[in-house]
Amino acid sequence: MCKANYCTFIIMKNITFLTGYYGSGKSELAMNLSIKEKVDYVVDLDIINPYFRTREQESLLSQFGIETISSDLDYKIHIDMPYISKRVFIPFNNQEKRAIYDLGGNDQGAKLLRQFDNYHDTEIDLFLVVNVFRPESGDPEKIIKLINQIEGMSGFKITGLINNSNLLRDTTIEDILFGEEIIKEVSKKKNLPIVYTAVWENIYADNLVFQGEILKLKLYFRKNWL
Amino acid sequence: MARVLMKGNEAIALAAIKGGVDAFYGYPITPQNEIPEYLSKHLLANGKVFLQSESEVSAINMVYGAAGAGKRVMTSSSSPGIALKQEGISYIAAAELPCVIVSVMRGGPGLGGIQPSQADYYQATRGGGNGDYQLIVYAPESIQEAVDVMKDSFNIADYYRNPVMVLVDGLIGQMMESVDFDYPVKERKLPEKDWATNGIINHPGRRNVANSLYLDPALLEQHNFKLQAKYNQIKKNETRFELVNFDNPEYVIVAYGTMARICRSAIEMLKKDGIEVGMIRPITLFPYPEKAFDQIPKKAKGILTCELSMGQMLDDVLIANNGRHKVGFFGRTGGMVPDPEEIVDAIKSFNERVVK
Repeated sequence: MCKANYCTFIIMKNITFLTGYYGSGKSELAMNLSIKEKVDYVVDLDIINPYFRTREQESLLSQFGIETISSDLDYKIHIDMPYISKRVFIPFNNQEKRAIYDLGGNDQGAKLLRQFDNYHDTEIDLFLVVNVFRPESGDPEKIIKLINQIEGMSGFKITGLINNSNLLRDTTIEDILFGEEIIKEVSKKKNLPIVYTAVWENIYADNLVFQGEILKLKLYFRKNWL
Repeated sequence: MARVLMKGNEAIALAAIKGGVDAFYGYPITPQNEIPEYLSKHLLANGKVFLQSESEVSAINMVYGAAGAGKRVMTSSSSPGIALKQEGISYIAAAELPCVIVSVMRGGPGLGGIQPSQADYYQATRGGGNGDYQLIVYAPESIQEAVDVMKDSFNIADYYRNPVMVLVDGLIGQMMESVDFDYPVKERKLPEKDWATNGIINHPGRRNVANSLYLDPALLEQHNFKLQAKYNQIKKNETRFELVNFDNPEYVIVAYGTMARICRSAIEMLKKDGIEVGMIRPITLFPYPEKAFDQIPKKAKGILTCELSMGQMLDDVLIANNGRHKVGFFGRTGGMVPDPEEIVDAIKSFNERVVK
């Protein structure tokens, strides 16, 4: 899908964290990326949202051979307790395993990275998911401010940007390109690669050219009637 | 402002700002927390009032006070939190003060759960507060509609000097949709708030009082007659509904909010099976769109009431139907949300669903 000049082929590290502004689409991307990359674990660290969390997709993920780590509590899908399982360390201690960590939104959600302070020797990716149509991340300045906040709060550096600019079912290719222009500026100023551009499967076409690898998105959280 | 992607709760909060809210008082509860969270950031930054009170009871009484002072005020909560506010709501309605109350319903009764529900239909339309009072209740089915209704609500509340409730379920609060904040709302010529208890300097020689206590029964009855006359005006002027696929329906579904969205998909699926089903979608729950039921063709085989509750709106459907058609019921509750297929099955087995 990637044309020579535009392409940054990404070899994902074994451990990849997804962070971003709240509502930027981290969980949909975590689902799509983990299935595409055939990872071993999806780790749901979202203690911010009550609905639409990766843990809801546990049975679907298990059909792909992916284990979900989230909370050990009973009824974990239906409670909003800020509790996560100590099993979140498993991928760090089994480094041949591949895992995608889905953080909650903003710097508050990224705070959960602090529990991995002792693991700074482990190479990880920390990708920032950006949807420029979310009102608080609509321009380069706001996005850079968010990067600084997340890096400050988490103690980890962002290693790549994901363009997930969309208006859900109303998205057009022009909207994605509009987002790309804004994220390119961030990329330049912060010297960060755009690693993926997410394109909803209903508007996907073979001849699309975007920054980074194109990730064809299925909407797992969005029922047809929604 | 171009189209943006927003979560229902955030959009409701921003719409309140666009609607001119001066002050918010509330207490946190899932699944509506993004409303106070958003307002805490953006109201204070703009010199307005945001206050997290020590309880829902104090929040609604702060609303009472600030509304009395003539300000545009709101609160928001979810099911058990709205239950705690009922006394204050009755007082505000009795004192004829404008305010907006956002209710994001979750599973009940009691503490229930945090998943979406519509089981507070009675709470919104019949009230848990005492006395003969009514709220104006809007039940939007999308984030765009929630935004439009929110902006309008402050005008409606001021116009009628009555509390307005915007009633959504947790799903509308939590889901995301693209939304445009620039849709114009109906212009209303609003009367001056010469009743506001905002200091004698603003109304020299006249002492304004916000009160709901009438110890003389004759006066209290007169007050009630006045309130009823107002509610009748509201019924006449503010009833809103949408008719969906109403050309020649074999069956008619009645559903609001999230349930109406599910039913829209079911209607499309039934069409493919050769069954034409229409829908009455109330946008106001009080006033209830009784007149919409006059448009149901005589030969329609029945009306299916669909709710995320156990038969609350069903009462209003039975009243509006007035014995003309068979009425059936389909409901899921406790936070369970059906797929459209379940509605399709319910229509296909309508006779087993008939309650009256």
